[in-house]
Amino acid sequence: MRVAPLALVGFAAIQAAVAVLVAFTMSEGAVLAGGYVTVDATARLFLVMIDLIFLGIAGYVWTRARSSPELLKAATRFAALSVVFMAAANVVVLSSHLLAGWVALEVTTLAAAPLIIRPGAPSTRRASWRYFLFSSIGLGIALVGLMCLARSVESEGATPTFFLHELRDLAGSPPNLWRRIGLALVVFGYGTKLGLAPMYSWLPETYDEAPPAVTALLAAVQFNCALICLMRVLQVYRAGDRELVSTELLVIGLASMGVSTVSIIATRNFERLIAYASINHAGVIAIGLAIGKSASYGVMLYVVSNAFIKAILFLTAGKIKAHYGTKDTREVAGLIKDLPYSGLFLMVGTFALLGFPPFGSFLGELIILSGLVRAKQITVFVVFCTFIALSFIATGRTIFPMIWGEPKREVHWPRQSFLASFPKLAFLVALVAMGIYMPKPVNALFRAVAASLGAE
Amino acid sequence: MTGILIAFVIALLVPLFVSKWRTSLLGLALQGVLLAAIAYRQRDVSISVSTAVTLLDLVVVRAMVMPAWLFVTLRRQNAPLRNDVIAPNLFSWAIALALVVVAFRTADVLVPAEGNEQSLVAVSSAAFLLGLFVLATARGTVSQVIGLMRVENAIALFELGTPSEHTSLAIRIGQTAIMLMSVGFCRWYLAGLARDTVTPLPVPSEETADL
Repeated sequence: MRVAPLALVGFAAIQAAVAVLVAFTMSEGAVLAGGYVTVDATARLFLVMIDLIFLGIAGYVWTRARSSPELLKAATRFAALSVVFMAAANVVVLSSHLLAGWVALEVTTLAAAPLIIRPGAPSTRRASWRYFLFSSIGLGIALVGLMCLARSVESEGATPTFFLHELRDLAGSPPNLWRRIGLALVVFGYGTKLGLAPMYSWLPETYDEAPPAVTALLAAVQFNCALICLMRVLQVYRAGDRELVSTELLVIGLASMGVSTVSIIATRNFERLIAYASINHAGVIAIGLAIGKSASYGVMLYVVSNAFIKAILFLTAGKIKAHYGTKDTREVAGLIKDLPYSGLFLMVGTFALLGFPPFGSFLGELIILSGLVRAKQITVFVVFCTFIALSFIATGRTIFPMIWGEPKREVHWPRQSFLASFPKLAFLVALVAMGIYMPKPVNALFRAVAASLGAE
Repeated sequence: MTGILIAFVIALLVPLFVSKWRTSLLGLALQGVLLAAIAYRQRDVSISVSTAVTLLDLVVVRAMVMPAWLFVTLRRQNAPLRNDVIAPNLFSWAIALALVVVAFRTADVLVPAEGNEQSLVAVSSAAFLLGLFVLATARGTVSQVIGLMRVENAIALFELGTPSEHTSLAIRIGQTAIMLMSVGFCRWYLAGLARDTVTPLPVPSEETADL
């Protein structure tokens, strides 16, 4: 049992190394396993991202497990289920078949649901049930959408298929009613997994109740698995008509930003605040996808940046909660003095969350905003800016006193080891690198994915 | 509309008006049997492995395992016989019936040619909308589980009307396994949430137990 967390780190390291090898050595667009597996730019970018993040999470779990026997037991359970979760997540990313991707995404949900439960805390079981229920409904709706898309192909006289390379040849024809309904259902269904309005209510509760490592797994890995499933459909079916489902994406994007902004203003729980910010991010991504074209590169920068931001913030929030024994923002102050590493990570993570330069999220948001102007979506631009400004003020008002305020009670902390902070530090380096300097091969990957989403 | 689809509509509607969880489970079992009957009638001359897996999913998982597991769990908990899947008032019943009408009208637009395909789309849409309606109004876990299973059956019915050449055996098996695991999870949550309600455990004050 003692070796389980270390074995998990080993597994994650091998997985990340293989992902990097696959991403930068395999030829573009290779199709394997009878057409079920693809190694295109989208797969390569997401593969590297989720596997590196998982390596960081595994490192965090290992350092936490060393601190008490109780945590060692929890870490062993985490190790077993997260291996299943990650295997399925990798299948989602590499899948070249829409139904196979859907099945693998379901498996990630089934593997994650028990991880949310903390023994002896009934509220976590309720949160897990809500997560399972909403995920099942969302994925069910997405499956109906995929079936409608199959019918749309059949109604045009072609043989229905779910293989991406076959669909690319078929999807250029003008959209019929089945295709419109199918795409709307797919957006709505996978949107539920992304935490987009109106089916977002599971997300704050789940992210708040789940152990931090699990929350990071859901927010930084599973979120991107759901996103890649949605992107695969959009890449294929919007190739001929970029306006398809753009209204739906704009509406649910703005609605998500609206509800998250109000919730950020109202909440006094720092874990919930980050969860609401995740809904906000999902809204921004939906709007970016709706615009497509010039905004696509910004969307990809924003997506990858946010995966690292959420991993940093949720793991840091877990550390803060563990030491203070509360999630109330009013009870935590002066973090930069009390917990220098956690204070620093919360500070930098919040700056990145709010879209400050030099982080990739700043550049991504800027490109999406300029895309809105170019697309002449001025009303959306104004509402977008208003929501961003409001959530900026509300987040700063809540988080900054936690970092720089005067400590409210005297506390004696155990020394924070560098090893425990290393995973978050690695995430931070990746985050800053994306905003300052991106190596050529990585930038080429971003550009290729953006092109598949319609970037000119 | 065929007799099987008419029976399916009855299995959909009756449990909404009879506020008993046993009736709801019976309705789910009946839906599973009817789904299997539709799949059997649609088969080719010989039964392929993929069709056999589909029949296994419908007959064993949906018509037998799902209702039986939920029945045993609820019986062990001595759950009260009465369980409203939707609010027992005229307004809810009117909405339920209106959803059926909307589903049939939508099917008219989606499949203009009258026939079996149009009926299948109409009934599966009605089942799907009613499942979502149950989920939207349900507050208790039992009703939520029943709503979820109704939606799953509706999707299965819709899938039966969708061309199936695209579905390989591996994916078919994967879908069946996921359905079985989902039912297992529902049973697990049903038991666990009821246990938490009966003997509420104190929330641990030591937050250090978090990973």
